[in-house]
Amino acid sequence: MQDLYREEFMEIFRHPQNKGNLENPSAFAHKKNPMCGDSLVLRLKISGGIIEDAKFESEACAVSVISSSILTDYLIGKSVDEAKKINKDRLLEMIGLNLTTSRVSCATLVLYALEEALKNYEKESE
Amino acid sequence: MKNVRKDFPILERKINGRRLVYLDNAATSQKPKQVLEAIAGYYSNHNANIHRGLHLLSEEATAMYEESRKKIAGFIGANCPEELIFTKGATESLNMVATTWGAANLKKGDTILLGDFEHHSNMVPWLEIAEKTGAEIEYLESDENGEIHLEEVEKKMTGRVKLISLTHASNVLGTIVPIKEICGLATEKGILVSVDGAQAAPHLEINMADLGCDFYSFSAHKMLGPMGVGALWVKREILERLNPYEFGGGMIDEVSYQKATYAAIPARFEAGTPNVAGTVGFAAAADYLEKIGMDDIRQHEIGLNKYLSEKIKEIDGLKVVGPKEPEKRTGLASFSIAGIHAHDVASVLNDYGIAVRAGHHCVMPYHAKIGLTGTTRASFYLYNTEEEIDRLVEGIKKAVEILS
Repeated sequence: MQDLYREEFMEIFRHPQNKGNLENPSAFAHKKNPMCGDSLVLRLKISGGIIEDAKFESEACAVSVISSSILTDYLIGKSVDEAKKINKDRLLEMIGLNLTTSRVSCATLVLYALEEALKNYEKESE
Repeated sequence: MKNVRKDFPILERKINGRRLVYLDNAATSQKPKQVLEAIAGYYSNHNANIHRGLHLLSEEATAMYEESRKKIAGFIGANCPEELIFTKGATESLNMVATTWGAANLKKGDTILLGDFEHHSNMVPWLEIAEKTGAEIEYLESDENGEIHLEEVEKKMTGRVKLISLTHASNVLGTIVPIKEICGLATEKGILVSVDGAQAAPHLEINMADLGCDFYSFSAHKMLGPMGVGALWVKREILERLNPYEFGGGMIDEVSYQKATYAAIPARFEAGTPNVAGTVGFAAAADYLEKIGMDDIRQHEIGLNKYLSEKIKEIDGLKVVGPKEPEKRTGLASFSIAGIHAHDVASVLNDYGIAVRAGHHCVMPYHAKIGLTGTTRASFYLYNTEEEIDRLVEGIKKAVEILS
């Protein structure tokens, strides 16, 4: 945990990428973390199987914000199939934070929102 | 109070290179060596299953189990030890009230009154039983200072109310609820009162005869005892009419292939092998607290509350939730800092060796009511010191610096 509040991470926390609303999203999910009550909305714009834009809005801690910023940044330009491949381990590797057990759920909130958003998207496309 | 720290070996631990400052006592307290030794002593010298062993160890274990019951019953001023049932903790005790008394006595049209800052463990069992019986739940509204006033209780005590279930002290706000006065009002109207004492029994002198409630639930682990053991006290005439909670060994009178009859109280409510070592540790904890004196502990905690209240005035944007007056709270302070998430505050504090808790503290509806997703809570006990509060305040300042 010692490195979590390092300046480079705090920089992401203070100025996260892709924070905000997205008009007319193709996919959407609202997730809550029952452990802490944090809440996060993820919106995606998908066209021809490619994620063209991703934005999140959350009331959440630094870990969650940093994770959301890094994941949404990664998602933009990737295919839906690539996005589906991201699991917990991949995400944790991507954000590179040394997290204690209880903080892992802060980081994964955005991932579970992604999974739900993609599920909703596929259901609607059927 | 100065000498108590030497009894708690864990307080010597270093966390991230600094001596531990343990301020998460409302979640669980640390244990003095007297309690640890009592538990080890039981397992080293007396361990056996209780009742009908007919061998010396079993006789000793049974006697120790019943001595523990006597000790804890005495500690809370119960009329007799039989009114005290050992459970695995306050949560199980509260569930027992809802599923035994609630299921047998509630029907459509009845109302249960709860406080608006109850812990989930004194709320969810009632939501569940209300769903099953058709009874309704109403809430006593606390004011902006985090207090529940008698006028509010009187107003909501209609003819439909069968039971009021309230916390004695809030685990978020620290508010001490006027249970004795509420019991006075309820008794006049024939309404029963169940009390969640998990946050009160460790910090206040409590006396069942004086309080006048009907059920009282509490846990050992928040009052220097071990985890996994707690108690439910029930007024004798109510307990004698209650149906058992669980069924099995130890709680029967006679069993045939067709039918079972049940033992007298308290055994009727203690099916299966109990946590004997836990109750022995629980009794040792009560002994320890009595030796220090509950009144001295209370004064010590009020002192720490006052000290903290003064110190945190220096921090911009910090707001303590609950009663402003330190003496209206048990030894704790939950706070929010504008623009900073509670989890981040707690994480930075951990980097400095300070243990606090952050989140909704199992009280989601109240946090939603006051418009916060969570708070950071520092909770004290008899071994905490003003120097530790200095370190807490220093840590909070550091967190503000890093996170804003």
